[in-house]
Amino acid sequence: MSHDLMTPVQRFAAYGRGEAIDRLPCVPIVGNTAARIVGAKVSDFRGDGKLIADAQVAAYQRFGYDVIRIFTDLYTQAEAMGARVHYPDDETAYLAAPAIDSVEQIATLEPADPHKDGNLPVHLEAMSRAVDAVGKEVVVTGALTGPFTTASFLIGTETLVRLMLKNPAAVHQLCEIALQGAFDYAKAILDTGSTPSLTDAMCSTTVISPRQFREFGQPYLTRLVEFIHGHGRSVTLHICGKTRSIWEQMCETGADCLSIDNAADLGEAKAMVGHRVRLMGNVSPSETMLDGTPSQVREAVRECVRKAHDNPKGLIIASGCSLPVETPFANIDAMLDAVREIGWPVHIEHEMETAWKA
Amino acid sequence: MPANETELFQALSDAVVGMDEDRARELANEAVERGIDAYTTIERGLVDGMGRAGELFESEEYFIPELLLCSDAMYIGLDILRPHLKVEDANQRRFKVVIGVVEGDTHDIGKNLVRIMLEASGFDVIDLGRDIPAQRFVDTAISENADVIALSTLMTTTMDAMAEVVDKLDAANLRERFKVIVGGGPISPAFAKRIHADGYANSAPNAVKLVKQLAGVPA
Repeated sequence: MSHDLMTPVQRFAAYGRGEAIDRLPCVPIVGNTAARIVGAKVSDFRGDGKLIADAQVAAYQRFGYDVIRIFTDLYTQAEAMGARVHYPDDETAYLAAPAIDSVEQIATLEPADPHKDGNLPVHLEAMSRAVDAVGKEVVVTGALTGPFTTASFLIGTETLVRLMLKNPAAVHQLCEIALQGAFDYAKAILDTGSTPSLTDAMCSTTVISPRQFREFGQPYLTRLVEFIHGHGRSVTLHICGKTRSIWEQMCETGADCLSIDNAADLGEAKAMVGHRVRLMGNVSPSETMLDGTPSQVREAVRECVRKAHDNPKGLIIASGCSLPVETPFANIDAMLDAVREIGWPVHIEHEMETAWKA
Repeated sequence: MPANETELFQALSDAVVGMDEDRARELANEAVERGIDAYTTIERGLVDGMGRAGELFESEEYFIPELLLCSDAMYIGLDILRPHLKVEDANQRRFKVVIGVVEGDTHDIGKNLVRIMLEASGFDVIDLGRDIPAQRFVDTAISENADVIALSTLMTTTMDAMAEVVDKLDAANLRERFKVIVGGGPISPAFAKRIHADGYANSAPNAVKLVKQLAGVPA
């Protein structure tokens, strides 16, 4: 496979200015898969900022993608505010118990101190180290969970969604505390030289309605995006699952790039909001990246390129969500290779296309 | 208060759709006081209401929060009416489903919705909860003499735990005895086929259709 001619930083800068690039930006969203690059267990990442940085930098150098994302799971901020997280030996962590179980206890919560609480200092250390190692050539981002999603981990998702209808003031109180914590953590991420990358999984219309997103999700995201913009950084916003009916609202948060799950269609996103935001997506992480063959990955990349390469605000070829831990390296290579073959301006050879389908 | 049975059933159905727990409680008690048949009240009131809520969910007028509050109203009514079921109604053998979220995952809203919609469709459901080891699905299915094992996960990391349940059934020569169905965010029909599951559904209403199909009841 041909080698890249630009660094990720050069590529994004030129792409943003509308100048020539060597290929489209490409981000297979590597999270805990990075453990496999350095032969570590996923649970080894807990409490070890150096290992997280080493693994993420090694994964970036191994595959040559365009953004490093320091990420292990979505619970880091909620954990630092009292939620209990379970760490299996060699799999992604999951929420064991929310921080509180009643509305009365909301008043006992305090925004986390990013330099003291939970694993936040560890993640900040990982960001600093990654920036020191390769920050000149590639953007390092730090995963920042949105206030509504963090609120769901603080009180429990079912409790939170019931409260939206029964006691909206309590939900706002909780989101406000989560937002204050997110401001502090975002500031700390920016101080490492990294860029916060926003995920608000529970805002998906797979879970809540567009009207509920407008009331409980969007206002807090908007304030967070404004805050990050105030520090001169652009913002990518990812919401999992179905999002079609909230794309306009996601744009209204001011986000510069929307990362679209494979449950949504890139072509539709381009038609609806492509003149306002860059799009990122959306090869299926499980069906294609984990379970598919390299040729299926290539075809999925081609499909994304066909649908949205002419997006007015640009396209980043990516997985629809974070990759499963055991995603085969060959499939990640295939994603990058397909993007390199397609090149820029994009060129999809017809006979290759039919060959892949056959 | 409603003038007759038909009006009461309609009002109870409306209370479920309207997420009105107090009204559901009041009407269920009223049905008991008037000596209206509990089974019919459940079917034509509560179950009808939950069915309508499910339709609103499918057409994206209702989302998960609304569906949960509808089910809260339904369960309040059920708790009041169930003790008044005739013995033959209470004891009739119903198609039985053991359901849970597989080990390594605690996302259970999807599973809860499936449980709610199955119960509202008259199935007997044993809900094991979340983060459940494969062996417990097998043991419970045997001890409860269940017909279906329903497995849920939202995480790609825990999909393999679904295959483990099927493998354990195979190893114990029990594969033919139970139907295994799977669902959840990262699950696809292809995955279901690969692990030799008997069915896949992408939503709670479709899970009900699938179980009805397996039970041989008209949808």
